[in-house]
Amino acid sequence: MTVPGKEAELLTRVVSGDRDAFDAVMRNHEDRVFSVCLRILGDREKALDATQETFLTVFRKAGQFQGRSAVGTWIYRIAVNTCYDQLRRAKRRPSESLPEHVDPSDPSAEEAIESAALRPEIEAALAELPPDFRNAVVLSDLEGLSLPEAAEILGVPIGTVKSRVFRGRRLLAKQLGNQIDQ
Amino acid sequence: MHDHPLDLIAAFADGSLSDEAEARALVESCPECREEYRTQTEVIGWLAATPTAEMTDLEKAALHRDLWTEFRRQPGKSPATPWWQRLAYVAAGLFVTVGLVSVLNNDTLNGGADSGANTTADGAFDAPTEETPFVAQGSDDGESAPEMTTETTAAATATTAAAGAGGEESFALPFAELAEEARANQADRALTEGTDRDVEACMARVALDEHVVVDEIDLDQIYLLVMPADPEAEPIVTFVVLPRCEIVYVG
Ligand SMILES: [Zn+2]
Repeated sequence: MTVPGKEAELLTRVVSGDRDAFDAVMRNHEDRVFSVCLRILGDREKALDATQETFLTVFRKAGQFQGRSAVGTWIYRIAVNTCYDQLRRAKRRPSESLPEHVDPSDPSAEEAIESAALRPEIEAALAELPPDFRNAVVLSDLEGLSLPEAAEILGVPIGTVKSRVFRGRRLLAKQLGNQIDQ
Repeated sequence: MHDHPLDLIAAFADGSLSDEAEARALVESCPECREEYRTQTEVIGWLAATPTAEMTDLEKAALHRDLWTEFRRQPGKSPATPWWQRLAYVAAGLFVTVGLVSVLNNDTLNGGADSGANTTADGAFDAPTEETPFVAQGSDDGESAPEMTTETTAAATATTAAAGAGGEESFALPFAELAEEARANQADRALTEGTDRDVEACMARVALDEHVVVDEIDLDQIYLLVMPADPEAEPIVTFVVLPRCEIVYVG
């Protein structure tokens, strides 16, 4: 856990060009940013790109942080918007290849990729969901964020997130029901 | 007859209701409300059992390197770092990465010698519930979802490494084999085990009444290995932990 006030102070130091401060902000949030991006985009390489773009935006916009929400919430919101942009920009093409960044001799790479994989049928069903529903389900049920936090990140009222999560689950169940339930 | 308040039932399923009495009564008395409850619980279970996605150490190193390269192109903002210093950073990053990986591997081997199997099993079972707010139902201990921390990441990496490197018997990863074995044992063991009333009540509570308990694994708690009763059904394995009666793994 990071102390909110301390994190806001870190951002102030980022604005003044403090490299260590930015490293600290990254360390605190890069794992979840990547995880959110991977679940939303469904593609490891794109998720790595989106993670990079997210932190570039964080860096550029650090001076605009108002402190109305937690730094983490602000960053995940940037991440979700970055993913929205990516989805908008390019039609999704499932990619089988390993990301460029991965060194084939990296012993941790294969395990991490394997453990990050959703069961294919769940991944496919998730990809079929309308993006609004998918993002709500990803943040709430996969990333385990609270409804108020998910609402803040998605920029919609809590009631809207709730109903998106509930409906998203129903759609998932419908799609998965035949494969998993019977 | 009533208008089935599906969102209320859904909120009941994910444990976000402060007053559960009404929803509980509906689930008990109305088949449609019960079906909604089952649907929501099931999907929550599937998603909760999904491991958290992680970057590899090298992906992380590359991310940091690429970002700082980008920052250098942003005029007037980033602290200027000479190229030789950046090279040193990357080299140091790789050095740390390699060191970390070998430390993890050593830990794994040392840990595997004594209680390795147990630790690994605990990690594997508990990880999904710890990192998501999912509590199947009926449990009011209100476990919250801790923020992802470096410690959890390291622990998860260690668990994965343990399962990969150890090669000893453990419950960490070979779910496919477990499922296979469970299916083979299902016919003769299904009806002789897990017939005690607590288990049956729990199975009904987590909406697994058309399933059978094919094994009970006694660790710090009792883990029921549950599979569909129908042998033609897809061999989805569910772990239910007793006495809390929670689904901790579906896969
Ligand atoms: Zn009803």
